[in-house]
Amino acid sequence: MENPSYNTDIVRSFVTWSLVWGLVAVLVGVIVSFQMINPDLNFGPYLTFGRLRPIHTNAGIYGWGVGTIFATFLYMVQRLCKQPLWSDKLAKFQLWFFNATIIASAVTLLLGYTTSKEYHEMEWPIDIMVVILWVVFAVNIIMTIINRKEEQMYISLWYMMAALIGVAILYLVNAAAVPASLFKSYSAYAGTNDANVHWWFGHNAVAMALTAPPLAMFYYFLPKSTGVPIYSHRLSIIAFWSLIFMYLWTGAHHLLWTPVPDWVQTLAMAFSIMLIAPSWGSVINGYLSMNGQWHQMKENYLVKFLILGITFYGLQTLQGPMQSIRSFSAFIHYTDWVPAHIHMGTMGWVSMISYACIYYLVTRISGRDLYSVPLANLHFWLALVGQLLWTVPLWVAGVLQAGMWNAMNEDGSLTYTFMETMVEMYPFWWARGIAGVIFMIGVLIFIYNIYMTVRKKESAPSTATAEGRA
Amino acid sequence: MLEKKPVLFMLLATAAILVGTIITMAMPFLWVNTDADRIETVTPYTPIQQEGRDIYIREGCNNCHTQTVRPLVAEVLRYGDYSKSGEFVYDRPFLWGSRRTGPDLARLGGKYPDAWHYKHMESPRSMVPQTNMPDYPWLNDTALDPESIRNKMETLGFPYTEEQIKELNGKTEMDAMVAYLQKLGSDIPWRKVAETTIVGDLTNPFPGDASAIAAGKDVYSSNCAACHGDNLEGMIGPALTDMGMEDADLYQVIHSGIPDGGMPGFSNLGSTKLWQLVNFINAEK
Amino acid sequence: MDWASILYLGITFGLFVIFALIVVRTYSRKRKDENEVAKFRMLDDD
Ligand code: HEC
Ligand code: HEC
Ligand code: HEM
Repeated sequence: MENPSYNTDIVRSFVTWSLVWGLVAVLVGVIVSFQMINPDLNFGPYLTFGRLRPIHTNAGIYGWGVGTIFATFLYMVQRLCKQPLWSDKLAKFQLWFFNATIIASAVTLLLGYTTSKEYHEMEWPIDIMVVILWVVFAVNIIMTIINRKEEQMYISLWYMMAALIGVAILYLVNAAAVPASLFKSYSAYAGTNDANVHWWFGHNAVAMALTAPPLAMFYYFLPKSTGVPIYSHRLSIIAFWSLIFMYLWTGAHHLLWTPVPDWVQTLAMAFSIMLIAPSWGSVINGYLSMNGQWHQMKENYLVKFLILGITFYGLQTLQGPMQSIRSFSAFIHYTDWVPAHIHMGTMGWVSMISYACIYYLVTRISGRDLYSVPLANLHFWLALVGQLLWTVPLWVAGVLQAGMWNAMNEDGSLTYTFMETMVEMYPFWWARGIAGVIFMIGVLIFIYNIYMTVRKKESAPSTATAEGRA
Repeated sequence: MLEKKPVLFMLLATAAILVGTIITMAMPFLWVNTDADRIETVTPYTPIQQEGRDIYIREGCNNCHTQTVRPLVAEVLRYGDYSKSGEFVYDRPFLWGSRRTGPDLARLGGKYPDAWHYKHMESPRSMVPQTNMPDYPWLNDTALDPESIRNKMETLGFPYTEEQIKELNGKTEMDAMVAYLQKLGSDIPWRKVAETTIVGDLTNPFPGDASAIAAGKDVYSSNCAACHGDNLEGMIGPALTDMGMEDADLYQVIHSGIPDGGMPGFSNLGSTKLWQLVNFINAEK
Repeated sequence: MDWASILYLGITFGLFVIFALIVVRTYSRKRKDENEVAKFRMLDDD
């Protein structure tokens, strides 16, 4: 059973709330995807596409993504340090404040209080809430690490600490603004500078919130699920330093061909390509950790989620560098190709890993068997099919539209008007809407399974659950 | 060692993060928005334009529209002259966007007459039936608040006159939006520069050809009907029936537009489509 | 070669040296056990 001094209640609460916000994110995602097919689904002024889309992205990143980060980090840090949480009170405050922040974000975004900067739409009062939240979280984790009983710091702790520092720097710099009123501010930077600062933030939010934390989770929960250690701790160390060094140079790959200085774009392109190495360092480490254990892919549902997750991470970090090449960017930038890239990352990588972590945490903390392993397998397939049916058609759509935008007649005039290219997207958008529904059904089944597991009356603690084996 | 000293470790990690940050994020400030990329003709937003911009942000138009034209052939043809750094010095925040669900708006100013925008914003599908742009009729219902706009201009440090603030009385959010849209990208005189002259003599390659007329009808529906009506009966632009223009003159008007009258030029359709249009319109009389 | 190019080259070279040092340090035989022990220790706590 549990070591009583570890605080697992807080982990359980964060799991619960990240599930709530995860469901909200997916639900709003489905709504906006149908709004793109039928504009009659816009109910102005509050429920229009322009206001709902940021709620989808922010609920996804800050509610589901960061909520899961909070849950898993608070769990991992105690285990890896063999040390209870530094402050339970602070953690409780963090939980309360986290939900207050997410709710405040959703309400203000609906009301139209927005900075318009992608993934940083919340206005300045909420920025302040986010900063407080992050400081509280970081202090608790760092103090626990400093007080730790286990001398060795496992690689997951490295990624956790890097994420804590990285997010803090990024968020603060990009948030700089001059308030004009309670819910309206103007960026401290103008035009091209603002764009460059923003995408330095934007891309590294990907690094520090959607890459480093899931890697920390992967490195922890994979060995815990399989029962064998990772292939090489030293390889993970090399990959770590290279990754956090290189990521910060690449923001301008979102701004290729724009007025941002050329040399910044060129550096971004070069470093993006070099990023393949440290990214694949982790992928290969993950695969080699499965040596002699591949049979677990069949027997252990947790391993399925984890290995598929790291596989999509590998694909993502090949596709990303490709998109960072000027000539390729000229073609696919601004098309549906990019949302498809995003969703392989969020639905295929971040969510797959998070699902495994949550299954593990819930069974572990409650000391019970999962309510239904077949349902978990069904969830796996719905998540996988949902994601692929989302991304593959939209890659095709992106290439199709890019081709039409660039098509020229012999006399040097354009072949298609904008609308002629845009109406070609509708069938693909239908596929995406349906894919979203499939993915959402998976999430509902997931939540049901978790709920039935913790609800179950006869609590027969079992050792099999510990390793997630069915 | 390092692996056992978290504070030292975090300092090193911070250093690793800061190298790329300083070089690619901080250093560009030395060049961007300085004399190096200044454009004299670019002016700050007026009160009504700035308010329109803030409404654009509030409604999240940037989730469907970009505002930067890249120096690529097809893109310059479609939208206009490519964007320059100096054009954005007064943009807080930048609104370049990342996805073109709708067309780029960086060069929108002066493309359409105001009347087109009022109608389009209220109900995009009444002009472009298959668009997925939402209707924004409620912008007509909200009056502007001159004092809050004055406060914004002060915060931004943009120049304004009492006259301009007084003029805001009785104006709606829709007026502000249209004023902003008409300012976009028009600080440099690119339209004048981009005017192309027709070389060679203009002779109708397919006079009276039925298939050209049929093709012309399609081109008309997707490019002209929004302003001249489905049956050439006229709306924002005049009726095109019974004009009695020579083929060559008609070609000239469609090709170059009537910039001061709100008729956009359609040179980027290419000569084949333009001649099809000419044949279609002149067959309707 | 102008100064800018020399600077670029120097910085690039410097980065490679740092990288090489990290690799050498991490993979030195002396530290093998020290650097790999964490992966076993993390499995203990169950
Ligand atoms: C769901 C995506 C979407 C949103 C949100 C959206 N638009 Fe559009 N917009 C489009 C599409 C698609 C078109 C092209 C068809 C048309 O003209 O309606 C378009 C066209 C336009 C045009 C005409 C551009 C041209 O060159 O013909 C303007 C101006 C415009 N939108 C302004 C706005 C403003 C202002 C907002 C915010 C209040 C907005 N749009 C919100 C999708 C969108
Ligand atoms: C944005 C709205 C708009 C669009 C789109 C538009 N026009 Fe016009 N057009 C006008 C306006 C306004 C005028 C009147 C200009 C003036 O006379 O000052 C005009 C004038 C004309 C004239 C001259 C009429 C006359 O009696 O002198 C012709 C011919 C014409 N348009 C053809 C076309 C064709 C063909 C298309 C499609 C390729 C087209 N227009 C698209 C707004 C538009
Ligand atoms: C080596 C790693 C990666 C590189 C080099 C990379 C590169 C890129 C590039 C160039 C774009 C912009 C495409 C365009 O607009 O034309 C992009 C967009 C994006 N990527 Fe990646 N990517 C990588 C990994 C990831 C991962 C792991 C995720 C995790 C989810 C991710 C999430 C995103 C998101 C959210 C965007 C959208 C930004 C927007 O709104 O425009 N990326 N990426």
